[in-house]
Amino acid sequence: MRMLDVSGLHVRLGGKEIVKNAAFSVDEGGWLMIVGPNGAGKSTIVNAVSQGVPYEGTIAFRGRDVRTYKPHELARHVGVLSQNHSVGYAFSVEEVVRLGRYAYAPGVFSRRTDADEAAVADALALTGLTELAAQSVLTLSGGELQRAFLAQLFAQDPEVLILDEPTNHLDLVYQKQAFSLIEQWRQKPGRAVVSVVHDLSLALAYGKSAVLMDRGGVAASGSVREVLTAERLRAVYGMDVKDWMQTMLRQWDDL
Amino acid sequence: MKQFFALLLSLAMTLALAACAAKPEANAEPAPASDAQSAAPADTSAPADAQSAGAITITDMTGREITLDEPATRVVALSAADCEFLFAVGAGDTLVGRGEYCDYPAEVLSVPSVQSGYDTNIEQIIALKPQVLLMSTMAQTQEQIDQLEAAGVKVVVSDAQDIEGVYTAINMIGTLMGKEDNAAAVVEQMKSTFAAVSAQADAAAGKTVYFEVSPLEYGLWTAGKGTFMNEIAEMVGLKNVFDDVDGWGEISEEQVLERDPDFIVTITMYFGEGPTPVEEILARPGWENVSAVKNEAILNLQNNELSRPTPRLADGAQMLYDFVAAHADDAASPAA
Amino acid sequence: MKQVNRKRGDSFSPLVYLVFAAVMLLTLVLCVSVGSVAIPFGETASVIADALLGREAPQTTAASIILSSRLPRVLCVALTGASLAICGAAMQGLLKNPLADGSTLGVASGASLGAVTAIAFGITFPALPFAGTMVMAMLFAFVSIVVILSLAYKLDYSLSTNSIILIGVIYSMFASSLLSLIITFSGDKLHSITFWTMGSLAGTSYRNALVLLLALVLCGGVLLGLSRELNAFAVGEDNARHVGVNVRAVRLSVLIAVSALIGVCVSIGGCIGFVGLVTPHIVRMITGPNHARLLPATLFGGSTFLMLCDLAARMVANPLQLPIGVVTSLIGAVVFIVIFYRSGRASA
Repeated sequence: MRMLDVSGLHVRLGGKEIVKNAAFSVDEGGWLMIVGPNGAGKSTIVNAVSQGVPYEGTIAFRGRDVRTYKPHELARHVGVLSQNHSVGYAFSVEEVVRLGRYAYAPGVFSRRTDADEAAVADALALTGLTELAAQSVLTLSGGELQRAFLAQLFAQDPEVLILDEPTNHLDLVYQKQAFSLIEQWRQKPGRAVVSVVHDLSLALAYGKSAVLMDRGGVAASGSVREVLTAERLRAVYGMDVKDWMQTMLRQWDDL
Repeated sequence: MKQFFALLLSLAMTLALAACAAKPEANAEPAPASDAQSAAPADTSAPADAQSAGAITITDMTGREITLDEPATRVVALSAADCEFLFAVGAGDTLVGRGEYCDYPAEVLSVPSVQSGYDTNIEQIIALKPQVLLMSTMAQTQEQIDQLEAAGVKVVVSDAQDIEGVYTAINMIGTLMGKEDNAAAVVEQMKSTFAAVSAQADAAAGKTVYFEVSPLEYGLWTAGKGTFMNEIAEMVGLKNVFDDVDGWGEISEEQVLERDPDFIVTITMYFGEGPTPVEEILARPGWENVSAVKNEAILNLQNNELSRPTPRLADGAQMLYDFVAAHADDAASPAA
Repeated sequence: MKQVNRKRGDSFSPLVYLVFAAVMLLTLVLCVSVGSVAIPFGETASVIADALLGREAPQTTAASIILSSRLPRVLCVALTGASLAICGAAMQGLLKNPLADGSTLGVASGASLGAVTAIAFGITFPALPFAGTMVMAMLFAFVSIVVILSLAYKLDYSLSTNSIILIGVIYSMFASSLLSLIITFSGDKLHSITFWTMGSLAGTSYRNALVLLLALVLCGGVLLGLSRELNAFAVGEDNARHVGVNVRAVRLSVLIAVSALIGVCVSIGGCIGFVGLVTPHIVRMITGPNHARLLPATLFGGSTFLMLCDLAARMVANPLQLPIGVVTSLIGAVVFIVIFYRSGRASA
């Protein structure tokens, strides 16, 4: 079952074409990795999917154009985790996580339901933030903050997760945790993940399929192993990525 | 910030030109002053010509000596009071430029207006080629005065702070214009009106008055000690309920209710829409217990009779006196 | 699990509202009892009791002072304070910017410009005596807010604190100079305009209080209803969009509600700065940033703050009255600097 289908995507910002004719899709149970060097337009694609920038082309969820959804309806299907978080005020972790439930009761007079309470509690527990629930987000470390927003996303309980550099701020322990959390989440039926990652090893480890972006356009797409070949990466990154990765790893051999 | 600016502006305005924007028609309508009192203007100028001869030296009201070879024939007057002085001494025809707020007598409106105060356009004044510029003390900066003097314009300051000052100003301007006799007559006229009014002051003995400079809607401003209104009130035998306020100031509504004036004098302008200033005061909720409201003893002076240092202060005094006297009978002292 | 959810509630309970309400009511009683004319408290109480019970009251001066002058003024002050404060809180949430407020963003200046334009060009509605200035004030407030925000977005998409305040200040200056321009060319309306600009809450009537109350119920109601959306905006506009908030609709609703409310306040009481800036900050220290708690509390806080400022304005130079804006600006400017200093260090 096709979950998310993007075709003919163009994004122009300030007269400059950031994304040119991008196309990709992800099926139920899939994990699509969007990779490519800086400036390839990866984050812009995420913004387009979340309706944050004007775009041309079609983005469809389960075959229906996402533009036809109301914002809260879309949020129940597609959840987005962005790269940078700076919260302006001293909200508690729980308050931030609870915002994830907004999509289920956007009205004025909606009350908290047991489903909301359970979803918030589960999300906090899953991300190991239960202890920090009452703490101000301003006092959190970058990793804890990122986990708080991941918890928000879990509370939101969408069918497709769109992650923009989900482990950008996390140290290795949490990076591993976060990816295994997302992996667990993905394995439940009716779910799929799209993530932008820098770390090609992570892409190889968790990705089912991949899109290699180059200066706004799609250089290659398909299964991870088809896309992340040595030749393709060399062409896009302008260096021998595979050799470099192997050199980096070999350092550990004699330790 | 705006409040501050507004305060300054309003102070400056109420002091010098409280009801500045009078339409000419509105001015003519109430016909406030009888000709005798406001010193008939232009028609006295012909016989007065005899007075003009030889050099003239005057001391202006800041103590500076100014010498002219002959009486001035081209004058720019920036303050509304100065314009009135000129017309009062019969030299209205010498006025070649006026301040923008000069509005009395009606003829003055046909004289070209120049900017005054902070925004004075010096070039515009010099272009009118006056021999003399009349202005009040604080109106211009020293730099502006220096520029004018350098261009050959004699700057004369008239700045009456009390009735005595008005006499001085009239006499000074009379001399300046070669109309000493007219000036003396105007002063005499004022003095005799004042004398007549204060001689009969008993009618108002013990009564109190409240001067309203701006209406409730904009915050109540009143005239306290050291204002012409206060001076005239005393002359008429009235006690200003706000004689503890120095000069002009915003006071609270409840103070007015508490001090329960027997008379109210409002100088609010009426623009022909909505209730008149008197009706507006009568309709104020909570004021129905104020003696002046109960007795409908409210006088609306529309033409700065009491707020501008001019010969018309005598008219204002007379109007106030007549008003108080007319109420002397029906205002049968309700105070316990 | 429930315990987790209640945790936050421990630091803030509905009891705090009771305290807020009690403080506000006490302030209201204080402000009605104390004025430039000294009236014994017992007399004040009996006058108000008589009025409330509809009893035939003796027509004393004290009764006139309290019922006709002091009470309507204090009510208008309280309602204006509440309105400006909730507007400030909503703007600060919406823009995720602790320095946002009707006065710092230039919205109040825009509203003044609208009111003065209405006076200068004689825009009136015959049926409603002062609706002309009010409608124009509301309209200009809204146009101002839209202009300021679009400029800010153009300059700096992230709407950073500094750029938005800078644009607000520039816009305020622009509006002030337009205002001066209108005053210069206003001819025979000069008098009315000058008096309007120095307009104060003195002489406000029960009718004004009713208009303010109506505006506050309507616009304040909209803002209170959007408190969860404002929370999302306060966390971040992107995050608001991600969790499913209709960002455009909410932003538009908040801006309309805020500009309408500020327009009404300005047309009745003139520009009163800093209330909307300072009150939400003080209140936020007690309630936390959650708008569901913050917004109702700012209503109490704003009215209390402005009533106290008004009391100071009425009493400090008795019998002379100070403009209330002088008092709020004196206090507000100091608090503003403290906030700016602290937030500057926090974000550094």
